[in-house]
Amino acid sequence: MNRVLRQRYRVRPSLIFFLTFILQSVAHAHLTVEGIGEVGSGVLHPLMTPVHVLILLALGLMLGQRVPFDLKTPLQILAPASAIALLATTTGKINGVYPPILIGLAMGIAILVALEVKICSMVCRLICAIAAIGIGLDSGLEMGTALMVGKTLAGTWISINIATSYTAICASHGAEKPWAKIGTRVIGSWIIAISLLVLAFSLRKTS
Amino acid sequence: MITPKNRNTWLAPCILLLFALQSTADAHSGTGSAGGFVSGFMHPLTGLDHIVAMVGVGLWGAFLGGRAMWMLPVVFPVVMAFGGAMGVLEMPLPGVEIGIALSGIVLGAMVAFAAKPPLWVAGIIVGIFAIFHGHAHGTELPESANAMTFAIGFVLSTGLLHLSGIAFGLLVKWPWGRIAVRAGGVLISLIGFGFLFKFL
Repeated sequence: MNRVLRQRYRVRPSLIFFLTFILQSVAHAHLTVEGIGEVGSGVLHPLMTPVHVLILLALGLMLGQRVPFDLKTPLQILAPASAIALLATTTGKINGVYPPILIGLAMGIAILVALEVKICSMVCRLICAIAAIGIGLDSGLEMGTALMVGKTLAGTWISINIATSYTAICASHGAEKPWAKIGTRVIGSWIIAISLLVLAFSLRKTS
Repeated sequence: MITPKNRNTWLAPCILLLFALQSTADAHSGTGSAGGFVSGFMHPLTGLDHIVAMVGVGLWGAFLGGRAMWMLPVVFPVVMAFGGAMGVLEMPLPGVEIGIALSGIVLGAMVAFAAKPPLWVAGIIVGIFAIFHGHAHGTELPESANAMTFAIGFVLSTGLLHLSGIAFGLLVKWPWGRIAVRAGGVLISLIGFGFLFKFL
């Protein structure tokens, strides 16, 4: 039985990676959203926007570092806050978020990850709310029918919540292993470094 | 222990990362060395003086063992990014080239002589040299570079160089490995001298 299981899991990763490479090129041809559907493009949006990826990654790692691990409480804030922010973009009065704010947000959360700061539940909720609002407000659509916009924003909402949850679950698995805890902190330091460089770039461009 | 269940949990983020990084790399492939993930990733790999110093940090961290193994590679990218920001903002820093050459000499010597200073001393030494390296990279970055993808590639590449140094440094567990690692330190130091006296 074990042998069968081992063989099964040995084949699967390589197959999935292979499929990922093939499908990636297919998806890429339609990255301008046509062809993959509104929900699909909504799902991909936060994962294709580097600064959103950094925030979601840092947020997920921060939630995963918490002992005892609790995903329910942060999600109770993250899910409605991101939904409200995404809905707010449909008013047409919000044209994204000033990029340095999002980069600063990623850096702030990453500092907590790198230093492995133990944060209380209230601060955790606050950070989740700020991150969700930041990404949500930055994910608005410029045009499209109401149905199209609704589907795309729904995809983005799903993506924000699932990406954060998944990263948090992965990081929480590592909470028992010293090497994985170190790895989490190293990733945190990399996010800080990336954010610092990008902030400097944006300062140079504005000056 | 990695169980099939855990493996599956890690697999999906890896796949997502493949999606994300591939597209960012593609998006700027046409801009050559000016911008994008690929040019950011290649930037630290184009100078031998930088490579030996990054590997030296990982090597020394592994040699020191314990918390130093991860503390130095955590400190270095953050301080280097700070130096990079100074370079990007065109803040002057004297003796950058000398500082970079000295980093190879000192880090190599630390490994070669099996020096084990307190962790905070090692952190300060690494931090000082990181500023020089960061500043040099920062001033060399072109205006047209895509900041985000460039920075991601740049930091990942630096981290991987540290990792290769750590991997090599882990050989110290064996007597022959200890000799090999210290010989590596001598080599790094010699390359540093080469850059200081303009042989390289």
